[in-house]
Amino acid sequence: MAALKAVRTVIGSGPLAATLVLALMFSSLARAELHDLSEAELSGIEGAGIGVVLEDSKFSHGTDQPGPNGEQARIFRIGGIKSTDGRDVDITVNHLYISGSGSDYGQNLSPVNLGRLINPYRIDVVDGNAIGVADKAVLEFAAPALMSPGQGYDCLSSSAVAGSGTCANRPKTDDFVGERPDIGLQMNLAVGDDRSANINIHAASAVIDGSYLRLWGDNERRQMVGQFRLNFYSPEVSINACELDGSECGSRILLRDFVLELAIGNELQPVFFDVDGTGNFVIEVASIRRPGFGEIGADGQRASSNPEAWDFYEDYYTNSEYRSNLFIGNFSVGERDFGSARVEGMLIQHLEIRTRDLAP
Amino acid sequence: MIATMLSQFIAAACGVVLASAASAEMTRLDDQSLAAVSGQGGIYLSGDISINELGGPVDNSYFGRCEETTKKCGARFAYQLRENGGWMVLDDIRGNFAFEGLTLRVRSINSGFGGDGELFDRDVLELGLPDVVRFNDVRFKIAASSTPRPTDPGFQQTDIFSVQMRGDVIMEGNLLVFPESHP
Repeated sequence: MAALKAVRTVIGSGPLAATLVLALMFSSLARAELHDLSEAELSGIEGAGIGVVLEDSKFSHGTDQPGPNGEQARIFRIGGIKSTDGRDVDITVNHLYISGSGSDYGQNLSPVNLGRLINPYRIDVVDGNAIGVADKAVLEFAAPALMSPGQGYDCLSSSAVAGSGTCANRPKTDDFVGERPDIGLQMNLAVGDDRSANINIHAASAVIDGSYLRLWGDNERRQMVGQFRLNFYSPEVSINACELDGSECGSRILLRDFVLELAIGNELQPVFFDVDGTGNFVIEVASIRRPGFGEIGADGQRASSNPEAWDFYEDYYTNSEYRSNLFIGNFSVGERDFGSARVEGMLIQHLEIRTRDLAP
Repeated sequence: MIATMLSQFIAAACGVVLASAASAEMTRLDDQSLAAVSGQGGIYLSGDISINELGGPVDNSYFGRCEETTKKCGARFAYQLRENGGWMVLDDIRGNFAFEGLTLRVRSINSGFGGDGELFDRDVLELGLPDVVRFNDVRFKIAASSTPRPTDPGFQQTDIFSVQMRGDVIMEGNLLVFPESHP
């Protein structure tokens, strides 16, 4: 009866539960024999995660205007935010799209593949020892992995061929839709009754290979921790603002050959997520531990220091995986050209973000 | 609708299990009749799913029907990020979404995909997206709260932002799902 009760709770239907239990009872009559697996057989079994690929996909959402046949307006709205003087702030996304490349800023949507069958988006529980998180099972959401330079494709060029770079996803060709989508959105922001112009953000032929989010639990702090890496490559990111009726647009800000490699948290300094006692959200990257007295010699050389401690700090400060980079091949606003920009080797040594409720 | 489908599915499964005990007479199919039988692979789904559109089952000082303006009628989902810490909340989840033509089948891939298909050469689970999904006033809030339930003592909550969706979303393509080991 206990089994029946449990099934009732799950399915919530009397006769249905009874038939299910009946089916379960019959299954015990099966004569298949089960064998123990030996250690050797067991060690050969490898847990697999889930690979996900979107084939010929197209995503488009939202416009504030009713359709040509007068159907219901399409809206994607983010609200619930208040300005400091208590007025409602409302962000309306007029258009959000993911399309094949060559979409002409979202005008001509076409299908695109997201992820490759042989290098897909992955959801997996990975062995922490393999990625520097000792003795933990780590939940990982990952974009296609970067490849060795001899095999991959250039991350920016729209005519990249095999062996030209480290990205896995391929650009569009005449007979293949490619794996690099155009993504973009149009939105406007209103504070009370003042509505801003429409802001358009478009990224052409975008690639996020090598990005991941890893989550696990910390024993000492009894808290969820994580590690986040975002790689974003696009040959052209453009931002401009237009009148709400689309009649007039301002100068276009163009960022050509845009590369963002953002690392928040690493295996030595993971990101901690928390909600404090007053109901505010907290994100924290803890500082790296300070060296103990005498661990590092006065001259800073390895010879005069504790070698283990010296190697630890040497690795921390030289490991490029822990650092964030931003490159812009060419930055221009309308007719004005500002040349290239780069911010390289940023290391987050301590970070604490805490939301605050401004409501009186 | 899903419950009905589920019951049909289970009834069918039971039918298979009990088939050996059935006393109906069975006759052999000859080759010609067999040739006319075609196996259908896959499932075609249409759905119209409402979550707390008018209100949830709980009625107390905080939750109630949607027409009661002083109360919240959406569903609430709270999770804790730290032992004895505060709670992240997906609050006031409600609305209705509908789709037609979500398909589910197993597909064998050994060609296409810019040459990847040939290297891949395996079966995948293919979820054919329904082209258009209609959202009718779907809304939810992201919030941080000091207690899991709003009726708990010392309840304090900060709503971070809310999302509202209405209208048609174009969602085309096939979602392919398959086992993948860590590289």
